[in-house]
Amino acid sequence: MPSWLPPLGMLLRCAAVLAVVAIVGGFLTIWSGFYSVAASRGHWPGFELVLEFAMRSSVRTHALLIQVPQIDRPEQARRGAGHFQQACAPCHGSPAGPSMLVARSMLPPPSDLKDLVPTWKTRELFWIVKNGLKYTGMPTWPTQQRDDEVWDTVAFLRELPAMSRERYRELAGFAATDEAPSRTPDEARLASCARCHGDDGRGRDTTAFPRLDIQTAPYLLDQLKAYANGTRASGFMQAATAELSAREMAWLAEHYAKARPAAAAPPLEADSLRRQGEALFRSGAPEQGVPACAACHGAKAADRDLRYPALLGQYASHTKTQLELFKQGARNTTEAAPLMTTIAQRMTDEQVRAVAAYLAAEPAR
Amino acid sequence: MTEKRSPLPNRLPRPKGELALLEKAWKVPEGWRLLTAVNNTYIGVFYIGAALLFFILAGVLALVMRLQLAVPGNEIVGQGTYNQLFTMHGTVMMFLFAVPVVEAIGVMLLPQMLGARDLPFPRLSAFAFWAYLVGGLFFFSSLFMGLAPDGGWFMYPPLTSSRYSPGDNSDFWLLGIGFIEISAIAGAIEIIVGIMRTRAPGMTLDKMPIFAWAMLVFAGMIVFAFPAVILATMLLELERSFQWPFFIADKGGDPLLWQHLFWFFGHPEVYIIFLPAAGMVSMIVPTMTGVPLVGYRLIVVALVATGFFSFGLWVHHMFTTGIPGLSLAFFSAASMVVTIPSAMQVFSWIATMASGRLRLTVPSLFVLGFLAVFVIGGLTGVMVAMVPFDWQVHDTYFIVAHLHYVLYGGMVFPLFAALYYWAPAFSKRRLSETLGRWSFALQFIGVNLAYFPMHFAGLAGMPRRVYTYPAGLGWDLPNLLSTVGAFIIALGVLLCLVDLARNFRFSASDAVGDVWKAGTLEWLPNGIYGPRSIPIVEDREPLWYRPTLADEVEEGRYFLPGTKTGGRETLVTTPFDAAPDYVLLVPGPSWRSFWAAIFMAAFFLLLTVKLVVPAMACGVLSLGFVVAWLWQTDPGPGPKLAIGAGIRLPSYRTGSSSHSWWAMIVLVLVAASLFVALAFSYFYIWSVSPQVWPQAASDRLPDLSWAATTAVILVAGSIALLFADWALKRGGTGAGRWALRATLLLAVAALGTACFLEFCAQWQVGLRPADSSYAALVYTFTVVQGQLVAAFILMGLYTIARSMTGKLNAARRVTFDNTKCLGHYAVAQGLVGLFIVHVSPRLAL
Amino acid sequence: MQSVLAPHGPEAAAVARLGWAMFAGGALICLALVVLVFLAIRGGAGSRRVIASERFLIWSGIFVPVVVLAGLLSWGLVLTGARIAPPSPGALQIEVIGEQWWWRVRYGTEAAQKFETANELRIPVGRDVELTLVSRDVIHSFWVPSLAGKVDMIPGMTNRLRLHATEAGIFRGQCAEYCGGPHALMSFHVVALEVDAFEAWLAAQRRPAEAPATDQSVFFSTGCHGCHTVRGTNAVGTIGPDLTHVAGRLSLGAATLPTGAVNFGRWVRENQHLKPGNRMPSFGFLSAGEVDRLATYLDGLK
Repeated sequence: MPSWLPPLGMLLRCAAVLAVVAIVGGFLTIWSGFYSVAASRGHWPGFELVLEFAMRSSVRTHALLIQVPQIDRPEQARRGAGHFQQACAPCHGSPAGPSMLVARSMLPPPSDLKDLVPTWKTRELFWIVKNGLKYTGMPTWPTQQRDDEVWDTVAFLRELPAMSRERYRELAGFAATDEAPSRTPDEARLASCARCHGDDGRGRDTTAFPRLDIQTAPYLLDQLKAYANGTRASGFMQAATAELSAREMAWLAEHYAKARPAAAAPPLEADSLRRQGEALFRSGAPEQGVPACAACHGAKAADRDLRYPALLGQYASHTKTQLELFKQGARNTTEAAPLMTTIAQRMTDEQVRAVAAYLAAEPAR
Repeated sequence: MTEKRSPLPNRLPRPKGELALLEKAWKVPEGWRLLTAVNNTYIGVFYIGAALLFFILAGVLALVMRLQLAVPGNEIVGQGTYNQLFTMHGTVMMFLFAVPVVEAIGVMLLPQMLGARDLPFPRLSAFAFWAYLVGGLFFFSSLFMGLAPDGGWFMYPPLTSSRYSPGDNSDFWLLGIGFIEISAIAGAIEIIVGIMRTRAPGMTLDKMPIFAWAMLVFAGMIVFAFPAVILATMLLELERSFQWPFFIADKGGDPLLWQHLFWFFGHPEVYIIFLPAAGMVSMIVPTMTGVPLVGYRLIVVALVATGFFSFGLWVHHMFTTGIPGLSLAFFSAASMVVTIPSAMQVFSWIATMASGRLRLTVPSLFVLGFLAVFVIGGLTGVMVAMVPFDWQVHDTYFIVAHLHYVLYGGMVFPLFAALYYWAPAFSKRRLSETLGRWSFALQFIGVNLAYFPMHFAGLAGMPRRVYTYPAGLGWDLPNLLSTVGAFIIALGVLLCLVDLARNFRFSASDAVGDVWKAGTLEWLPNGIYGPRSIPIVEDREPLWYRPTLADEVEEGRYFLPGTKTGGRETLVTTPFDAAPDYVLLVPGPSWRSFWAAIFMAAFFLLLTVKLVVPAMACGVLSLGFVVAWLWQTDPGPGPKLAIGAGIRLPSYRTGSSSHSWWAMIVLVLVAASLFVALAFSYFYIWSVSPQVWPQAASDRLPDLSWAATTAVILVAGSIALLFADWALKRGGTGAGRWALRATLLLAVAALGTACFLEFCAQWQVGLRPADSSYAALVYTFTVVQGQLVAAFILMGLYTIARSMTGKLNAARRVTFDNTKCLGHYAVAQGLVGLFIVHVSPRLAL
Repeated sequence: MQSVLAPHGPEAAAVARLGWAMFAGGALICLALVVLVFLAIRGGAGSRRVIASERFLIWSGIFVPVVVLAGLLSWGLVLTGARIAPPSPGALQIEVIGEQWWWRVRYGTEAAQKFETANELRIPVGRDVELTLVSRDVIHSFWVPSLAGKVDMIPGMTNRLRLHATEAGIFRGQCAEYCGGPHALMSFHVVALEVDAFEAWLAAQRRPAEAPATDQSVFFSTGCHGCHTVRGTNAVGTIGPDLTHVAGRLSLGAATLPTGAVNFGRWVRENQHLKPGNRMPSFGFLSAGEVDRLATYLDGLK
C-alpha cells in the first residue's frame, strides 16, 4: 500500500459510511418529492443535454455490431411508408400533415423526423425503431422477430427528409383513401387496408404487399386473428389489425376472398430458376426430406385444407420472406406453421428463391 | 582447486549455509505468485487435484444418466440433454481425467523416484497443466450453455459432419480436445527425457523402479498414438468448416477413415491409461509384502509388449462394419495375444504376494480390488475379442460393463491405492485407514453392483447410448441395480474426498515420510528441493539394501548437496549406464509459461465459438509469451561444476547428448506419426474410392516439373542448413556470423517457398479441396507441411535473433541444433509428401 | 424377444453356446484366481513357494493362456467363417435402408414383385434370408439379437447379413449405432412365418391398397401424400414410410408404439412428443374429428 494513503481498515470504514449516507440520503430526497416530474415545466437547464448525450451514446454503442442489409429496393420504402402513415405519423407527423396535438405535449416530444433522421446512422435508426427508447414515448416494435419489417421502415425513413408531400402520399397509398367521402364503417376500414393491399387485394400495382385475392376467406380470417393477437408476428399487421372487431375481420376476409384473381405477372426471374422452382413445387426434394409443395398447397381450394394458404400467383418477395421466417423459426406459432418450419429448414437458400420465382409467375387457380 | 577423487558417501560435513542456499534456490513463490510455480511436486499436486475435479464432475454426469435410466420411460432429462451427458461423461473421463491423472502422478513422483530434483522442462509441465485446466473447465462449461458435444465420445461422422450436427457443439469437442492432446504430448516429452536422462548415477535401466518403466512405455505410446487422433480431429474440423470431404461418401470420402484413425489412437489410449496404473501396483505390492517384485524383468517385457501390441488391435472396435474375414481373424488373434502380457503381470503380483507377507492396508485393499475387477474386465475382454460374440454384444451395455470393469478396476482402484500409498510422502498428515477402508468397501460393492448387471442388460438386447428404454424387455431390473450401485460408488468416492479434505495437507518438505518402510527413492526425506543430495544407486530398492542411505542423502553426502550456481540444479546422466554427464540448470518460477498457456487455451476456445479475430489475437499473444519464455533458455556454457567425489561436470551440452535435443527428437517422432497417419489416410481412401483419383495424367495432376522444382528447393533448404551449421562451427567474426544468418534465412525462405509452390501447383491445375476426398487429402499434405514449415520459420527467425543478440555461437548452439533438426525433418517430410502426392498416382496410371 | 441368450436362429444359437461356454470358463478362472490370491496371502508355506516360483509364473501367465486362447480363437474363427460365407442361391433377398430414425424395407427384385414397407421384416421359417444393408444418412446398425449378430449400415458401403429363423415367432431388433436424436427409439420387428403364411403375406403386400371403405379425404387435404406412398392411390411421396399396408404391421414409429386406430391418431397429432426430433412434424392443429377420420382410414390399410 502506498504510504500516503490512510490504512486499509480506515478506508474501508469510510467507504462503508459514505455508502450508507448515500443510500439513506438518496431515499429521503426522493421520498420528499422535491424533484418535480411535471412535463409542463420542462427539464432543468443542461439536464436535457445530459439525457440527450446519454441516449445518443447508448444507441451508438448498442447499434455498433448491426449489419445493414440492402435497403434500396423500392418495395421496402413502400411498405415502410404504409406502416408509417398508420402507426408513426400520429405522433411524428408526416409530409402529409402534422402530428396530433396530444403527442406534441409530451416530454420529450416526438421529434420532427425530417430534421432528425439525417443525424443518425442507418444501423442506429434500426435499433431505435426496433427497441424503442426508455423514458420517452417511443415504443418498441410490436414483435422482436421481424427485423425485415424494421428495415423496411428504416428504408422509408432514409428517404423521408427529402420527400415531397406528393411522393409521400403516393407511397403511403393515399389515393385509395381519397375516394368517395361517404362510406360505410366497413368501407372505411377497407380504405385503411387498401392503402397497402389495394381494394382488390393485389397490392396497388406493386409486388411489395402480399396478394390477398388468391386466398380463401377462412384462411384470411384466421390470419387476421393471428395478427391481431400477436400469434403471427408482424409489427405492420398487428398495428393494422389490433383494433378490428371480429365482425369487421369477417367482412374484410370475405371482401378480399371474393376478389377475382387476375392473370399472372410476367416472369421476371431467369427461366432455369423458375424451372427449378416448378420441379420443387411438383415433386419436392426427397433426398432432403422436402415434400412437394403441391401436396399441401396445390390442389383447388375445395380439396385443400383451409388452414394452408394458396401459393400460386403469390409475389416472390413475400414468399421468400415467409420461407426465411420459417427457416429462422420466427413463424412457428400459428397452427400449421410448425410443419413449414420443419420443411423450410430443409431447403437451401437457392431452393427458396426458385420456388418464389416459380409461384410468382403462375396464374392463380 | 580440485577435490580429491574421494568415494561417496562423502565423510566430511557440509559447509554451513549450503542448505539454506539450496532451499532459497528451490523456494516456491507464495500468495498469488503460486501461479508461477514450476516445481514438479507443486505442478503434480495441482494436476492431480484438477484431474480429480474432472473425475467428480464427469461422475456427477453419470449419476444423472443413471437416474434417467433407473426406470423405463423416465423423464428426468430429455433426449437432447442425455445425448450431451453421455458424450461429455466419456470425453471428460477419457481426456480430462484418465490420461491427465496418470500423467500427473508421473510428474509428481518420477523425479524424486529417480533421484532427481525436478523434471528437465518444468515450465513445460506448468504450461501443459494450465492449458489443460483452463481449457478443460471451459470445455465442461459448454454443458451449461447447451452447447456440449452430443455425438458420442468417439464422434463418428457422418453424424458429426456439419450436415447432421449443424451447431457449434461438435466444434467444442474438436477444438477443445485438440489442445488437451497437445498438453498430453508435452507431458510425454517431459517424461521420456526425464526418465532416460535424469536418473540418479548408477540407476541403470535394469535398476529403475518399475513405475518408471511403465511411464516410459506410457509416454512412448502417447508419442505414436495421439497424433492419429490429432489428425482425425483436424480433418473433421476442416470438413465441418470448409467442406473438405474426408468422410462424406458422396464425394469419395469414407466414414470408416475416421474410425481407423480414431481407434488407432483409441485402443492404445486405454493401455496408456492402464499401464501407469499397473506400474503403480507394481510399486505398492512389493512394499506391502516386504519383498522385491517377483519377475521384474518379465514385467518390463510385459509392459513393453503390451505397449507394442496394443497398436495392432484397433480394428476390434470395428468388427461389425463389414470388413473382410482376414482382417477379422488377424485382429481377433492380436486382441487375444495382448492379454498374455497382462496375465504375466497379474501372476507376478500374486507371486510377489506369495513371497512375503501382504499387510492388509488401504492401498493393499485397493490393489486386491483392482485385481478382482480388472481380471473380470479382462475376461470379458477376451470374450469380446471373439468376433461372433462381439457381433452380438458390440455397442450394447455388455461393452459398457466391460469398459468400466477394465477402466474403473484397472485404473481408478490403483489410483486410490496410489493416493493412500503416496500421500504420506507429500502430506503433513497421513490419510485415515478407517475412512479408506470404508471408501474401498463402498467402491468395491458399488462397482460390482453398478456394472455387473450391465452385462445382462447388454445380453438381453439393450444397446448403448439410449436415453430411455421400453419396459418388459428384461432391462428394468439390471438398470435399477446399476443405478443403486452408481450411487454407492459416489458415496465411496465422497468418503475419500472427505478424508482428503480432513487429512491431506500438502507439503513437499514437511511430509509424514516413509510409513510403509518402502524401498524406493521417492521415500527419501525430501525437501522442497527433492533429495538433499543425489545418491548413487546400486539396487532396485536402495532404501532396503542401504539402511543408512536416507540419513546420508539428507546430510548431503552424495552428489550436488547444494547449489553451485545459486540456482536450481539436477544431474543429467547417460541413458543406459546412468553415469553423470552434465549438470542441468533447471528453470525456476515463471509467468511466461503461465500466460502462454492461458492465451493458447483462449485461442482454441475462441475459435470454437467462431470469434476468429480475438482468437488470432490470443494466438499471437501466446506465441509472444512462448518466445519470451524460450529466450531465457540456452544459457550457453559456463565453468565446470564440482558435483562431488572430485567430479567436475559441464553445465551445458550440445549435440546429441543434450536433453533439449532429445526433446526435439521426440517432437519429430510426433510429427512423423502425424504424417504417417496422413499417408495412411491417403492410401486408404484411394483404395476405397479410386474413382476420385486422377484417371489420366491430364486429369488435374500438376505437371511433374512442379514437384521437381519444389523438391529441388527443399533440398536446397537442407543444404542451406548444412552450410549454416558449418558457418556456426567455424565461428569467427562479422562475416562468419552473417553467413550463418544468411544461410538460415535462405533455409527459411526455401521451406516457405516450397510449401507455397506445392499449394500453387495444385491450385493452378484447377483442383479445389472441396471437390473430392482426393483433392482434400492433397491439400491436407500442404496444410500439415505448412504447419511444420510455420514452426520452422518461427524457429529460424528466432535463431537469427539469438545470433544477432550475441546469444548464439559455436559453443552455445543448442537453439540452432534444435532448429536444424526440425528443418531437416521438414525437408524429409516434404519430399516424402511430394512423392506421395505427385508420383504415386502416376505409378498407378 | 430381443435377447442374445434366447436364440431362434443358427447363428444366434452358436453364439449363445459360445457365450455360455466362455462365461463358465471365465467364472472358473475367476474362482481359481480368488483361490490363488487367498493362498498367496494366507496359505501355507508350501503353496506360497509354488505360487512365487518363476516356473508357476511362466506356466500360468504364458502357457496356459496361450493354449486356452488358441482354442477359443479357433472356435471363434470357425463361427466367423460361417457367417461371412457367400449367400446360398435360394435365399430371399431383402434390402434394408437405414434412415434417421426408421428402417426402409424393400422386397423383390423384379419390377412386378417389388414393394416397400417399413420398420418390419417378415421372413419365412427355415429359409435363408439375405439382407442388403445400406444407409441414407449417418451410420446405423441392424441388430436382431435373437437371430444373428449386428452389421453396421454405413453410407457409401453395402453390407450383407444372413438371417435364418428356425421357428415362427416375433423378434425385436434395435439400431445399435448411435445415430443422434431419438436413436433410442429406432427399433423394428422381424416376424418369422411358416412358409404358407409367408407366401400369403407376400402376395397381399404386393397388391396395392384396396379401395377404402372410409373417408380418405383428410389424408389428401392435409398433405400426407407429400411424404407417404399408398399404392393404388395418388399418394406417391417417398420421404416417409410406405403406408400401403401399414395397419397390418405390428408397430408405428419404428416400434415406438403398437398400431391401432387410437395410436394412429396419437402419432399424427403428437409424434414429436412420442419420438422427439423425428423427421415427421406433429399435426396438432387437426381437429379431433379430422384425426379420427384419418386414423380410421389408416387403420383400414391392412
